[in-house]
Amino acid sequence: MRYLKLGSRNIDEFLGRISNYGDLYAPQKISEKFYDYRKVEDISQVEFNYNRTITPAKKYFIPPKHEMFEFDMETGEYTETMGDVKPFVLFGLHACSIVALRILDGVYLNEYPDKYYAARRKAGIIIGISCLPDEYCFCNLRRTDFVDIGFDLFLHELPDGYLIRVGSERGHEIVDENMDIFEEVSNDDIENFKKFEKKRHEMFKYEGSFDNLRYILELTENSPLWDEESEKCLGCGNCTMTCPTCRCYDVQDLPDIDGKHGKRIRFWDSCQFRSHGLVAGGHNFRETKKDRFINRYVCKNAYFYPLGTSYCVGCGNCTYFCPAGIDFLKNLIKIRDVVGEVAHGEQ
Amino acid sequence: MDNEFLPFPAELVDVKALTKDTKLYRIRFADEQKQKSFSFKPGQFVEISVAGFGEAPISITSPPSTTEYFELCIKKVGKLTEKIHRMKKGDIVGIRGPYGNGFSIEQLYGFNPIFIAGGIGLAPLRSLIKEVFAERDKFGNISIFFGARRPGEIIFKDELKEWEKMAEVKITVDTADDGWDGHVGFVSQLVEKANISDNSFAVICGPPAMFEPTVEQLKKKGIEDIQVSVSAERRMKCGIGKCGHCIAGGEVYVCLEGPVFTYDRYQEISKML
Repeated sequence: MRYLKLGSRNIDEFLGRISNYGDLYAPQKISEKFYDYRKVEDISQVEFNYNRTITPAKKYFIPPKHEMFEFDMETGEYTETMGDVKPFVLFGLHACSIVALRILDGVYLNEYPDKYYAARRKAGIIIGISCLPDEYCFCNLRRTDFVDIGFDLFLHELPDGYLIRVGSERGHEIVDENMDIFEEVSNDDIENFKKFEKKRHEMFKYEGSFDNLRYILELTENSPLWDEESEKCLGCGNCTMTCPTCRCYDVQDLPDIDGKHGKRIRFWDSCQFRSHGLVAGGHNFRETKKDRFINRYVCKNAYFYPLGTSYCVGCGNCTYFCPAGIDFLKNLIKIRDVVGEVAHGEQ
Repeated sequence: MDNEFLPFPAELVDVKALTKDTKLYRIRFADEQKQKSFSFKPGQFVEISVAGFGEAPISITSPPSTTEYFELCIKKVGKLTEKIHRMKKGDIVGIRGPYGNGFSIEQLYGFNPIFIAGGIGLAPLRSLIKEVFAERDKFGNISIFFGARRPGEIIFKDELKEWEKMAEVKITVDTADDGWDGHVGFVSQLVEKANISDNSFAVICGPPAMFEPTVEQLKKKGIEDIQVSVSAERRMKCGIGKCGHCIAGGEVYVCLEGPVFTYDRYQEISKML
């Protein structure tokens, strides 16, 4: 892999340069408590140290709501309306968010590639950044705390700048075209990179692996925990909307007021909504809130075979943004651990 | 890149009422080339769109050997199907597909095929049944067991009559009314009473509630779970493994891996909710 250093004094210049490759989006502080990816109008607003964003990066590839076709109700014809997607730069993704996009790739670019997703994915330059975990993070248990593929550039924090890993052909091009702002990596930088990695690992609240969870879940479908926890659930869908790998969507035809034309639109859906499993005629494949609650746990802990990881990347968003205070990680640990023993990490 | 979600205009070339809420639609792509290149397997489905009303997956009921058109059997159950029921010969719908794995006719070679259908579940099986009749000498005895809620809900009545020439055809209704002198009860009871050899392969399509009692009867006749195929019911929406509504256990997109499963695999999946 190719490594470079970006010195502190060149960071603003770097942001300026990468915005030449397309509209720049990066995490910004949007309120006292929250961060979110926003279009960068002012480089000084870009946040390098943040724990999580209120909406995941998936929104740039599967927008929360977007038009698929226009239709003519008289001829019955549908016409594709998506124009070219302008190149854009997505700066500041954490490792878990990059793994999440690769999971989405597996679904959206399978044997039936999704044209809308593919076009946006092709147009997006991905620049990752290292992070330190907070108490909600468990990407280490999901083995998604470090990425080796799926980004163009990845920035690792150093005391005096960033160590950059170049992860794609496009990454190489960007670097080649801007060599004047980069330096060679020194031995001190390598030591500092290792120190940061060590510190990061020591900060994780839990250790171990969740590799067996999928099966333990299957074996504990009768646990009383499901009743207790699903009872608290408001069914609001925040957990799935903020999840970087939740990808369910719904589609609707919306006629215009003239009654002659209209648009077929696609928008995020959630398995936590009653309508998710409801079919015409009234049958619901996930009738109760408990059914829907368990479904999310099973779905997130299932394996995405191409990567060998679970669909959950351990970002902690679903817990952090849950208005009912349902703790996904604690529930998983409760399920995994032996009944009667003190839960791991709870001492 | 092609847009897999784009529906192709297709004409309703014939519409026939089968019961008071179920119609048979004969459909042909407006583009002749598209119709010519359209091939499918029994048990596969298409997505049918009506501009302004939405889209739904519907199984193809005609056999693949019929190439000048294909047929969909549609029951009026929701907003889109109500609209389709108001449409007439010559009207245009949008079609994309076919999708799903479909039934494997080769799997039935050398066996006595048993087709077990409940309600509108006969529609996808009809495609396979016709195909089996067309290759008659590759199979043993053919049985068709069909259950409808009421006598008035029996679809493909004339064809069922005609099929008696080539197969054992038994019909039952959940609830009889005046004038019905046939069997009353569930379709599993037809299986129970039938003379079935263990060299049979059963294909089941209908409401999921009928699977278990039916398979139980088949088992008593020595038919293993791997000699049974079912077409699974789910809320399928996009048909191509994207929208997530039909995911079972987080892993199986029923629209891609299914909807047809051997019964042993189906049991795994249905447990996953």
